Order: sequence, then C-alpha cells, then structure tokens
Amino acid sequence: MNIVILNWVTFIYFGAAVFYFIHMLRGDDFWGKAATVTAFVGITAQTIALIVRWVESYSMGIGHIPLSNLYESLIFFAWTVMLLYLIMEWRIGSRSAGPFVTPFAFLLMAYASISPNISGEIQPLIPALKSNWLTSHVMTCFMGYASFAIAGGLGFMHLVKGDEATGREGPSKSFRRFLPSRDALDELIYQCTILGFIFLTLGIITGAVWAHYAWGRYWGWDPKETWSLITWLVYAAMLHSRYVRGWRGRRMAVMALLGLFCVLVTYLGVNYLPGLHSYIKA
Amino acid sequence: MGKGNKNSAEERKNAIWSFFASVRLTVVLLIVIAVSSILGTLIPQQEEAQRIMRELPPALVSILQSLQLFDMYHSVWFLLLMLLLAVNLIVCSLNRFPRTWRLFRSARSGEPSRRLEGDAADRIFTAGGMPAGVADQLEGLLRRKFRAVHRMEDGGVVTLHGEKGAFSYLGVYVVHASILILLAGAIIGSLSGFDGYVNIPEGGTIDTVKLRGGQGTKKLDFAVRCDRFTVEFYENGMPREFRSDLTFLKDGQIVREGSLRVNHPIEFGGIRFYQASYGNQPGTALLTVRDGGGGKKLLKVSAGDQFELGGRKAVVSVLRIEENLMNMGPAVKLGIMSEEGGIAFWVFSHIREIEEANPGITKQVPQFNPGIFKPFYFSLGGIESAYFTGLQVSTDPGVPVVAAGAILMVAGFMIVFFFSHRQIWVRVEGRGGRSRVSIVGRCNRDPAGLSRDMDNLAAVERKQSLQE
Repeated sequence: MNIVILNWVTFIYFGAAVFYFIHMLRGDDFWGKAATVTAFVGITAQTIALIVRWVESYSMGIGHIPLSNLYESLIFFAWTVMLLYLIMEWRIGSRSAGPFVTPFAFLLMAYASISPNISGEIQPLIPALKSNWLTSHVMTCFMGYASFAIAGGLGFMHLVKGDEATGREGPSKSFRRFLPSRDALDELIYQCTILGFIFLTLGIITGAVWAHYAWGRYWGWDPKETWSLITWLVYAAMLHSRYVRGWRGRRMAVMALLGLFCVLVTYLGVNYLPGLHSYIKA
Repeated sequence: MGKGNKNSAEERKNAIWSFFASVRLTVVLLIVIAVSSILGTLIPQQEEAQRIMRELPPALVSILQSLQLFDMYHSVWFLLLMLLLAVNLIVCSLNRFPRTWRLFRSARSGEPSRRLEGDAADRIFTAGGMPAGVADQLEGLLRRKFRAVHRMEDGGVVTLHGEKGAFSYLGVYVVHASILILLAGAIIGSLSGFDGYVNIPEGGTIDTVKLRGGQGTKKLDFAVRCDRFTVEFYENGMPREFRSDLTFLKDGQIVREGSLRVNHPIEFGGIRFYQASYGNQPGTALLTVRDGGGGKKLLKVSAGDQFELGGRKAVVSVLRIEENLMNMGPAVKLGIMSEEGGIAFWVFSHIREIEEANPGITKQVPQFNPGIFKPFYFSLGGIESAYFTGLQVSTDPGVPVVAAGAILMVAGFMIVFFFSHRQIWVRVEGRGGRSRVSIVGRCNRDPAGLSRDMDNLAAVERKQSLQE
C-alpha cells in the first residue's frame, strides 16, 4: 500500500519539476502556483506513505521507523530535499530554484522505485540496526545531505547564470535571464551550506556514538566514516574560504558542487568499497 | 658569539612560528589528509589487505608494508600529519587570539560613528515630547533586547548605547579548541586503550583476547564464560537477535552475570564487551567403533579427545572434526598410536556413497579407509555443531575526552552561526518642543536581525502619531 502511494509520489514530483520549468520559461504565476501546489501535494502524500509504512511494519510484527535500508533512505532523502526546498521557497518568496531542485527529488524516488537491486518490501531489522540511535543518526545525516543537495543545485544555477554583461547571445542568454542574481544565489548557497554543515556534524557525532555502542569503537576509518569526514572537510574549507579569505561567487558555487559530489560518494559510492557500512548493499 | 648568533636564532624561531601560523599550511595539510584518507578507502586495510597481499609480488608487498599503506590510519606518517595540523591550529589560534580578545573586551565601549549626528543615520525620525521622556521610552525598548544599555546625557542630548553578543567573536576559538580536544582524546585512546576480539564457544571460558592489527594477545585479569548463546531468526532467514549469556569470573568466583546483545555492550573491569558476531564450529562427533569380533562401542567425541582401543594397546586421538571435507560430507580425522607406530586417517559419514561413486578409492587413498587399523572399523554417525560467540573487546580511556570535544564543537557552532555582535546607538535631541531621534546600528553578522531591532525602535514614531 505504501509503495503504491510512493510510486504516485514519484510522478507527482516529476509533474512539479515540469511545472517549475514552465513557470521559469513563461514567468506565468499560474504555473508557479501549480508547481508549488503539486510539490506540496507530493510531500503530503509521501509523508502519509511513510507513516503508513511505519504502521504497516508494526502490524507485521517487525516494527521500525522507515529509515533502515537503501530503499527507505532514498525515499527519505527525497522527502527531506522537498521539505527543505518548500521551506526555502516560502522564506525567500521565490520559485527560481524549483526547476533545479525538484528533479533531484524525482530522480531519487525513481531510482528507488525502478532499480531491480532495491526492494521496497518492508524488511525486519537485523540486530545491528536495533538501536535508538538509528533515528537520530539517519535523520540528521539526510537533513544534511538534502541541504547540500539544494546548495549544489543553487551552485549549478550560479554557474549557468554566468556573467550577464559578457554572456553570449542566443537562447542560453534569455534562459539565464530567469535565474536570480548571482549575489542572491551566493547568499542562499552560504545559508544552505551552514545548515547542511551543522546537520552533517550532528550526523557524524550520532553515528560515532552509535558505533561506540554497536561496534566497540567510535571511529574506525571505514569508507563511509572516512568519506563523511572528507565531505565535512570540504564544507569546512568552503566556510573558511568565505570567512577568512572573503571568497564569494563562482568559487563558492564550484565548491558547493564539489561538496555535493562528496556527499554522493559518501551516500552511494562507498557501497562499492569493502567495509562494515556496506551491508546496505546486501 | 654575541649578537650575530642571537639574531639568527631568533630569526629561525620566527621563521618556524610563521610557518606554522599560516592558513596556507592548513589548506595544504587538509588536502594531504583528505587525499590520504581517500587512498585508505581504495586500498584494502588491515584484515582485508591479507587477500591482496597474497596476489601481489612479494617485493611490492614489502615496500607497501614499510610505507604502512595497509594500515595507513594508524601509520606513523598519518599521525604526523595530524600532529602538524594540531600544531598549526594551536599556533594560528595563539597568533590571532590576542586581537580578538581585545576586540571582545572593547566591545562594550564602541564609539558611535559620526553618522549618528548627521543625516546619514540608519533611521531618523521625529517624536513628540522632550528628549528625556522620549529617551526613557526608547531606553525601555532597548533594554528588552539588549543586555548592556548605557545612557549618556550631554547638554540636552541623550545618547543611548545598546550592545550584546560580543562573545560571538570567541566562537571560532571554541570550535578550534574542540578540534584539539578531539585529537587529544583520539591520542589518549590509541596510547592507553586496546582493541581486541575473542571467540568463546558455548559453554567455554576464556581469559585471553586477540588484539587487532596482528599485535598479539592480551591476558585479562578475569575470565569470561559463555553459558549460552542464542540466535533467533526471522521467517525470511535474516537474523533477529544474537544474545550471549555471559558470566564474569575472578579467581574462579562468579562476580557478575549478564546478557550481551548487539548495541548493548557490557562493561566489566574497565573493559567493554560487544556482541559482534557468531559462528558454528563442528563440536562433537558420534563415532561407532566395531572391534571385528561382534563388539560395538558408541562414543561421543570432541576434537582433542583420546580413547583406548582394548586389546591392541592403541590410543586413538580425535584430531579434527570437519562438517564438510572436500565436498564429501562430514568427516573425522583420527590418529592412532600403537606398538606399530602412528597412523592417521579420515572417517567419512557417507563412506558408502563415496565408495560407490569412486570404486577402489579406499585402496588408492589409504587415509580414507575407515578400516585401515584392523580389525577395528570406524563409522561416523553424525556431527553436532556448537556455536561460538564472537565478541569485540576494547577499552578506550579517550572516549570521555572525545565526547567533551564533540559537545564543545556543537556549542561552538551555535555561537559562530547563531549569534552576532550587535550594537545600536540612539541619539535624542530636542528640536522645538519635539525630539529628533537618529539611530545607527552595527553588526558583524545577520544584518537582517539588526534591521528588525532598529525598526522596533523606530516604531515609536508610528505609535506616537497614532496617539496624536
């Protein structure tokens, strides 16, 4: 039942992404409102699906919060991206980031639904996952990932925006017209990065506490732990560059994308390397 | 002698100091540490390295080992990088802290800018009433938001100064101090802690653990007995729960009993035990011995057991018990010592089927002949597996230090990201029965919040005009 709803949500997010694109090209407020409403319907449906899944697991006798395997984490990642995006859209009163963030949420849902290696069945928790730390660790990590994903999307927009004065003529130039100013993008990238950085720090800390109770050591340099540290260092470097060296603009955008790359390696790439964390692959 | 040498010694000290005081060094160190860490996720480490070490040419393996590439996170050079980073952090902080401290101390008495008097203030409005009264109202509003409010009166002009959040300048040092504390905790742990593992067969007792990284063994001053190991499975075959019921013995006396589960370690004698894994090892074998004269004996034996064969003055030792030897099923290796010397052979459970599939095998391979020690004939009924529980055993005195560092880091982030030094000056001057108010604000972060505070004060004008 919950999988049926989640499959629908995948299409709803696709619809929202399309509406955001049309809104960007036509500047029509109707399409903008349609996009926001669609996104809101999507996240509401997804929230319901997650609750249904949670309750279903209890009725199966293997009750747990739906954060325990690759399928559930992909779904949750998409949920946090949409949640943070909608909050941001509300706070800044602009839909310009919509076409660059909602497709990411759609792709996450699509990957979860379509990939043959990822099963949507509700599965019981193996002993290592039976811990209260599961909830806080997974939630903080994915809130961090989502913030960084949005920052990356904004960084992409910043690079596409380019230099208005010297840009080439033609369709790409008129397209860039619809993007917000580079200064505004820069400020947003900065704020998303701070949010992500705090969440990632909490995610690493809760992970270390959990590892201390489950595996007997709070840090073991396994690929996931190591790459999460590297991601943390990249964003720390980004914040330092801004505060200490006054970096702005293009360099920040590039670092936001570099950071997002590290996030994806930390989340998905390490499953292809040996270590304790890659049980997710199984 | 004399001044020449002293200057060059000072110069050298200054050069070392400025080397470590540069942020460029930090960037270089962080890049090197990041790249090395990435390498460590691509090159198999510790136990997993065993596989790749067998496949590479020995010369290459010894080079890689001397560079400690198969255990790089505990290698000398990685530790050195961390130490350099720590020194770099300390020197940078010492360099910059005095200036920041002075800034923090002088925050209270910040001089208002000249903008306060002219037309370039952030907010300017006129309010009804004499300066003193208007200033009272504004002071009340200021005190609601600002901890420190000073009022100065000078010839009919009232100046108010509200200030808060100067401690935010120190936030960065809290974060950096927390990093140093984390590093210290890690060092304490690696110097005076240990990380080991041990397998305890169900019913068995151990008092020695194996240390990770091939560092040998460690004897504990108490013993641990596994009374029972339970593993439960879900319907789909996935493990549901592992539980080891343990008894801790000191000098043979039971001191403590407890159930160990994953995520619920037990601490005893300053050492923590974690349920890590479990396994099956062949435990006991059901052996039938026929003496060729109609007699038959049924024995339940474990590896290492010995028994005598009557009449031939021979001693049989149970050397090995295998659940599946060479894909031919359960087998037991027996060694027999007698006057004629010693022999060893395997007794297969499925010897009939093996002989049918491979006629003459017991002649070609005498070690597979269960009747080799005439007139005795051995047969294997079955093998019972016994569980053993795999425990992670470790102690890490650095943990409380690391925990303190982590908490301090989060506190430092709160200070750095969510607080800012905010100051507002208000100047109230009488102008023909009314008061001219000008407001200037200054902050090091969050200009939007400063703007809101100034708007709150300026709202006095609106309230007054509503009353009039």
